[in-house]
Amino acid sequence: MTGIYVFSEDPRLAAELVTTAAALADEVYVVCLGADAARTLTATGATSVVVLEAAGPGTVGAPRPEAYVAALAGLVRDRGADLLIVGATVSGWEIAARVAVLLDSALVSEASVITALPDGAWQAERVMYAGGAVQTETWSGTAVVTVAAGRAVAAAAPGSTSPVEVVAVDVDARVRVVSRTARVREGVDLASAARVVCVGMGLGEPGDLALAGDLADALDAEVACTRPVAEDRGLLPTERYIGISGAHVHPDLYVGLGVSGQVQHTVGFRDAKVVVGINTSPTAPLFAVCDYAVVGDAHEIVPLLAAAVRARR
Amino acid sequence: MCFKWVAAEGELRVDPVTRAVDASRARRKISDYDRNTIEAARVAAGSMGGELVGLTFGGPDARTGLKDALSRGVDRAVHVVADEGTRADGHVTAHVLAAQVRRLDDVDLVVCTEGASDTYAHETGPRLGELLGWPVVTNVRELTVEGRTLRAVRVVGVDLETVEADLPALVTVVPEVAPAPIPGLRSVLGAAKKPSEQVPVADLGLPAAAVTARTTVTSFLG
Repeated sequence: MTGIYVFSEDPRLAAELVTTAAALADEVYVVCLGADAARTLTATGATSVVVLEAAGPGTVGAPRPEAYVAALAGLVRDRGADLLIVGATVSGWEIAARVAVLLDSALVSEASVITALPDGAWQAERVMYAGGAVQTETWSGTAVVTVAAGRAVAAAAPGSTSPVEVVAVDVDARVRVVSRTARVREGVDLASAARVVCVGMGLGEPGDLALAGDLADALDAEVACTRPVAEDRGLLPTERYIGISGAHVHPDLYVGLGVSGQVQHTVGFRDAKVVVGINTSPTAPLFAVCDYAVVGDAHEIVPLLAAAVRARR
Repeated sequence: MCFKWVAAEGELRVDPVTRAVDASRARRKISDYDRNTIEAARVAAGSMGGELVGLTFGGPDARTGLKDALSRGVDRAVHVVADEGTRADGHVTAHVLAAQVRRLDDVDLVVCTEGASDTYAHETGPRLGELLGWPVVTNVRELTVEGRTLRAVRVVGVDLETVEADLPALVTVVPEVAPAPIPGLRSVLGAAKKPSEQVPVADLGLPAAAVTARTTVTSFLG
């Protein structure tokens, strides 16, 4: 056992990965970019914090996280890590897959449960068909696994300070950043919402929003929508749509109103603990990933549901 | 561009006792988002004055998908036929696709979808780019090519990041990159006249390690 390496360009997620790794191995090395991230991560109880510092030709400003792929793979290979856990972000997905190629290893994407097996092999579970099925995979030898935010609490070891190693590495300058701008937002943070009421095209008339808003109010939930409701009809701002290219949410409760359940939408909430669907069509694909399925007209059911929730509060 | 022939998620059967998923009787289809990807790649190939080759790796049944891809705007389709009964993970799939891309002449751009509707692992595209040794740009919602330079707008968390890279390059796209028009009758009929080819995986001459899955699936439950 030589330990687990964890990496994320997001220090908060990296601290969560330390918790996940510490349950699997005695030695946990956290790899990060930049001195600020390192300072945060020295308080996680990690065995050590490894800072990758860009050097060499082509280093201008702070390189993008994807520029460190070869450096990260080299580190993991040289140190003989058992496992590399990468935070499942847009950059992390790419980094994990490319590192897996350089290590000639397995990749398990967005694992929900990772287990060290007694014979030295590993096992992980992952969701398939956007929540419709769970696949269990095993492997032996070094592998790369990605883990989404919110799977573990951030590690904190008050009073302890992990040693910091700075490693100078070459970065890949082939992809050049021209600009980076924030998407227009109105301050809603769906990713951290505990409850979400989601409006689909089955409820996509302007007057229907009040209905969804009322249920959200009763549940103390955020109102979200599917992509066509935001981008095709413009009924809600684009930062409120859940899906592949929209928000990825991890709520305790997701309520879908008139949501058909296309996979490009359901991928965005596959971590939700409880999923409720209300749809007139009994064959709506959403029902395949629901814990509670209500076949009926949301116009009729939502006011009753909102009243029932208020009565219980 | 690469596409995947997958089981329709609405038609999976789950055994009520064992919870085991049976996908064998589910209808097959082109992975939903690959339809948008074909359209984006068609537009890109047009602007580059090039040919659009649709490439898939799958069992013999994936042959049905070739016609679908051709009717959606692919100029030529190549199906690398997997051996029956062998499982392909991301490692195997990327090695097979990379070997086939190398067999094609003068490939400047490979476009994959960010994820497939069954696995959605964000894996095959970046693995393929790395194996080819090309720059990789993922999660793209706007794509243009001017001369030998690719320009893309990526969705990165709450930001939009505009990047450039020199060709050849690999790009993965999200469905917003292009609409997925339903092919008209003329396109469907025209697809029958377009060339398509089936290549047994053994013809690629890959070493055994490249076509041996790195993981073993021990259960698949609903």
